Amino acid sequence: MSLAATSFKYKALLFATALLTLVTPIAAASFGAANISFEQVITLFSSSIFGADPSGLEPFGSSNTSAITQRIVFELRLPRIILAFIAGAGLALAGSVLQTVTRNPLADPYLFGISSGASFGAVLVLSFFGSQGLVQQWLSESGSHLADALLRSGWFSHDAWWSWSSLSLPIGAFIGACFSVLLVLSLSGFGRASQVERMLLSGVATSFMFGALTSLVLYFSSPQAAASVLFWSLGSFAKASWEGLVIPAVVVCSSILIILAFKRQVIAIQAGDETAHSLGVNVAKLRLYMLLLCSLITAVLVASCGGIGFVGLMIPHTVRLLFPGQQPILITALVGGLFMIWIDVLARCLLANQELPVGIITAAIGSVFFLFVLRHRR
Amino acid sequence: MSLNPASALNVEQLSWSVDQTQILSRVSFALSKGEMLGLIGPNGAGKSSLLRCLYRYITPDQGQIKIFGQNISGLSQKLLATKVAVVQQETPHYFEMTTEQIASMGLTPHKGLFETDSQADKQHVAEALEKVGLQHKAQQQYEQLSGGEKQRALIARAIVQKPQLLILDEPTNHLDIRYQIQILELVRQLGISVIASIHDLNLASAVCDRLLLLDEGKCIAQGLPDEVLTEAIIGDVFDVCCQISKHPQHGKPLITYFYGYQTGQPHGGEHDS
Repeated sequence: MSLAATSFKYKALLFATALLTLVTPIAAASFGAANISFEQVITLFSSSIFGADPSGLEPFGSSNTSAITQRIVFELRLPRIILAFIAGAGLALAGSVLQTVTRNPLADPYLFGISSGASFGAVLVLSFFGSQGLVQQWLSESGSHLADALLRSGWFSHDAWWSWSSLSLPIGAFIGACFSVLLVLSLSGFGRASQVERMLLSGVATSFMFGALTSLVLYFSSPQAAASVLFWSLGSFAKASWEGLVIPAVVVCSSILIILAFKRQVIAIQAGDETAHSLGVNVAKLRLYMLLLCSLITAVLVASCGGIGFVGLMIPHTVRLLFPGQQPILITALVGGLFMIWIDVLARCLLANQELPVGIITAAIGSVFFLFVLRHRR
Repeated sequence: MSLNPASALNVEQLSWSVDQTQILSRVSFALSKGEMLGLIGPNGAGKSSLLRCLYRYITPDQGQIKIFGQNISGLSQKLLATKVAVVQQETPHYFEMTTEQIASMGLTPHKGLFETDSQADKQHVAEALEKVGLQHKAQQQYEQLSGGEKQRALIARAIVQKPQLLILDEPTNHLDIRYQIQILELVRQLGISVIASIHDLNLASAVCDRLLLLDEGKCIAQGLPDEVLTEAIIGDVFDVCCQISKHPQHGKPLITYFYGYQTGQPHGGEHDS
């Protein structure tokens, strides 16, 4: 009886998610400053998928949709939507894996200090290794060049994805993230029985420490530079480009594959380290690899769209509530991606002639959600 | 392989110490195929440590452990997990997980990367749940099960693991007497070799083929229940006085304890403590 009902509910939810996945990119592409209708987007999409000729099915021919509309949709909005999707999927995935591997329901890349470590690495790269070789100018107190460096670095410009300027930021962020993970692991005592319990506390400490270091770097830079770093650290998809999508897409997709490959082992850790060990899992090693994988995801995402918190906390919990008893890695990634696209739509449309940083919106929703989780678990 | 082919487990001269404290010293014993060995002894005797050595959660300083003639230090962790299953007494909080999923975790060491559960696996999980009498609770959340049902779900997971040796670390703690008997009899009729640490001496006497008595890391006695459970040995190791008689049903030792230790008169039943 309840079995059939559960299975029906599961299928209905799955269907709703699939439907939302189909509608979301089209709907999201039609929101924004320029007035583009839903039908125009559909026409554009279908003509690009089925060849140049829309075969007369649509009332709008390719001649009706102007070249400008086409450029807005394909060069501004579409990469942005895809970046938002990748970021949401990656953060949700990282949060879900961290929660499972550490058996802590409040785990999230932010709480473990991974994000702040990655931010610190990225800010360091922005301030020291910008395209102008900034170290000396920065030391001679002409800190305003930080802003130039920001503008010229890979995150803002449209360089090819393999160039130094577009790789330096992710690499810096990844090194920062790895530092924070290693710090958390060494503080929490690698391989100890109480490892998981101490991990969260060391994560919070690490997070504050890197936050302080980031503030220190910002303090010595010019107001303009500090403002742009601040805006960047709040998170935004506004600078998305097709070239900038390559690294995040490759990292998040391969991470999904790796996590799917080790799904059983990751789930086994939930049963406790000793039980997982008796199920043939090398717990300490797997936990370390999964933490490093999560820092890689977080680092790349922090580098390409700034700090976006709480997604890794909210989405896995929501998915667990919606699909109880499942361990849906793909659905978690999917829901995370869809959520982020709609948050970005909100960010674009909430204020009339201005964009809100997405990090503000996710943090506002997330902090309320955090309290909800605490209350729910008593 | 030169060992007795019927021997499931061979432990020789096992020693383990932490910071100069000897936890296990030169423990040796053997377990025949299909036999159920009860591990008894006072708190802190080293029972859990001994079991942890058997599933290689801790590495002993000295001695060797052979499972079906193979030294376990030479086995990969995954291979070891296909031979030895473990049921512990305490499990952490699970996220939303159904009984069926808990049982399916037993498939972990048998599966490669990306491999999904086949129809045969699902059948196997269903059979395991039926064996422990939880088939009707398969879709229920593990957290909502009663203590006895939780323990049975964990045993189902061990069955799914298809082990040759099952290790139980105090499987009956926190359970009422009905479940204590039920769990141990259930494990017994699975027909695989079992080693279980049990606190209740009468229960151990009733369900185990042989017993191993551990005290301060040393093996004090081993053998049939009536060889191990004597008035002298129990008085020595546990510091309690008792009387051994034959159990009216199965004829194995039945222990009756005496009370009144606070007054300094072990046999004085009249005084309040």
